Amino acid sequence: MADVVTTSNTYAERASRAPQARHGRSGLERRKARTGLLLVTPAFVFVTVFVLIPVGFAIYLSLTNYPLIGPDQWVGLKNWASVGQDATFVHSVLFTLEYTAIVTPAIFIVGYGLAVLVRRRRRGSTLLRTLFFLPYVVGLVTESFLLLLELQPGSGGVNAVLRGLHLTNGQTAWLVHTNLALVAVCVLVIWFASGLTMVLLMAGMQGIPGDLLEAAEMDGASWLDRELRVRMPLLRRTIAMTLIISVVGSFLAFNQFYILTQGGPGNSTDTVVMWIYQVAFVQLHLGRATALSLVLVVLVGFISFVQFFALREREA
Amino acid sequence: MAAASTMTRPARGPSGRREGNTARGIYAIVGTVLGVLFIAPLVWAVLRSFQTETAITSAPTVSDVTHLTITNYQQLISGTIDILHYVANSLIVAVGTAILTAILATAAGYGFGRFRFRGRGLIFAVTLLALMVPYQAILTPAFLELNFLHLTNSLFGLVLFYSTFNLPFGVFVMRNTFSQIPAEIEESARVDGAGTLTTLWQVMRPLVTPGIATTVLYAFLFAWTEFLAALTFLTQQGKYTFPVALLNVETGTFGTVDYGYLVAGAVIAMVPCVVLYLTLQRYYVQGLMSGAVKG
Repeated sequence: MADVVTTSNTYAERASRAPQARHGRSGLERRKARTGLLLVTPAFVFVTVFVLIPVGFAIYLSLTNYPLIGPDQWVGLKNWASVGQDATFVHSVLFTLEYTAIVTPAIFIVGYGLAVLVRRRRRGSTLLRTLFFLPYVVGLVTESFLLLLELQPGSGGVNAVLRGLHLTNGQTAWLVHTNLALVAVCVLVIWFASGLTMVLLMAGMQGIPGDLLEAAEMDGASWLDRELRVRMPLLRRTIAMTLIISVVGSFLAFNQFYILTQGGPGNSTDTVVMWIYQVAFVQLHLGRATALSLVLVVLVGFISFVQFFALREREA
Repeated sequence: MAAASTMTRPARGPSGRREGNTARGIYAIVGTVLGVLFIAPLVWAVLRSFQTETAITSAPTVSDVTHLTITNYQQLISGTIDILHYVANSLIVAVGTAILTAILATAAGYGFGRFRFRGRGLIFAVTLLALMVPYQAILTPAFLELNFLHLTNSLFGLVLFYSTFNLPFGVFVMRNTFSQIPAEIEESARVDGAGTLTTLWQVMRPLVTPGIATTVLYAFLFAWTEFLAALTFLTQQGKYTFPVALLNVETGTFGTVDYGYLVAGAVIAMVPCVVLYLTLQRYYVQGLMSGAVKG
């Protein structure tokens, strides 16, 4: 009876088309609902098993001194209390923030410049888009291995070019100095990620109606005015999205530092993810590492949360 | 207003026709310089991979460019490192991840996009939640859980883990793809007596192929290039994926540190990425536009 009431709209709608099936309709609706639920269940199970359960388990883990072998002991909030006292962790957070603060604006500026260069269909613009985007496609891991080779004192290509330009003697040991290593990684990442920002901004720019820009031009707006006062405000959601992608990506940096510096010299170039990896899988303090991880989940979750709502707004 | 827009219609963009020679000249010069600058490191790497180890580890000279050899590749493949074993591991993981993600995301996208049922909004929100939890941050509990399930040191375990973290993007793309299909198409199939799976396979498949291609492409490339989870979950050398094996080439775990092997290995790792991107560029860009990509 209840089913008839809830599906009466659909029933009435379809009754005219297929009056002979009037008894099957509510059954069909129910079957459809069940099919829908059945279709989404496998994906939901995966997310539950590999995301929700690990997060829940992490909360428990962070309250124990979980050893790989033997029974675990409840230690209460001890791991949490030690988060602030872990000097290397605090340093890694600051270092990761510094790195993020350097690459995010740089990627944005380079990416915006590239987008301006190739946004209009001109001779060679398609080729240029492909070339600028290719470093992103190849991936940071492979590129870090290549850069490692080219940073070698005496033999590396980077040093050879700098010596050729009479800027250095070609013997710079980039990876044993914190700041030089940071410069090298930043240049690598800017080269890697600018193409992504370019593609996203370009799509946004192409969506701006030409009339608006023409009207601004007739009003005497210069090229720079049109860029800063017309395009940029209209692009603010796309810009926000590219910035958030850069911030989250940089905050989770691991590959490039792990391959190039191993966190050295000392722990000076350890990023947050690297240090958590170190505490968990080298020092085997799983409980403490998990407390640190949850701090990271909250930080990144907050940024992604903002991103989600920025995107929803755009969709609406 | 109407007159103005008619006048400028032939132009490609705003002020398109008035672009002077100076602007075109600047575009040509800046474009060429930047294009060369962006591609040079990758081209240089390919060139490097055909140099001898001695040439790579000593100061570059002009003769390095003319004395090319395939020794590095030969040694990598037939030598003690047996690189093809790790390439095969990575291919298994990448293809497995692509297939599993495509199946799960297509089913879920169909369910979310075409069916109404109780709890749909909540389940969709929870599925997208995985997008907000970076896998890098839950490796410790995930490692223990996979260990408990006997899924560490297992390529299959890695496929399950990778697929999960490709799901939010895949489900998002597939839901949007299914939502865009007119309801009449599906209903006429149903009236003809086709069941859910038949409808999906015979009627919807051609219409959702672009969405599936995007999902497959991203899942494959993610799994092919992923490093941290593979490094964490795989501790037996025989199970290493290609990037982890390259790390061992770099650190000399296989016996010798040989930069010739490393650069040749890196070039092999680039090939599927470049080929897939150049052939499926359209789907790649479509995926980016859906706005659910993480950096």
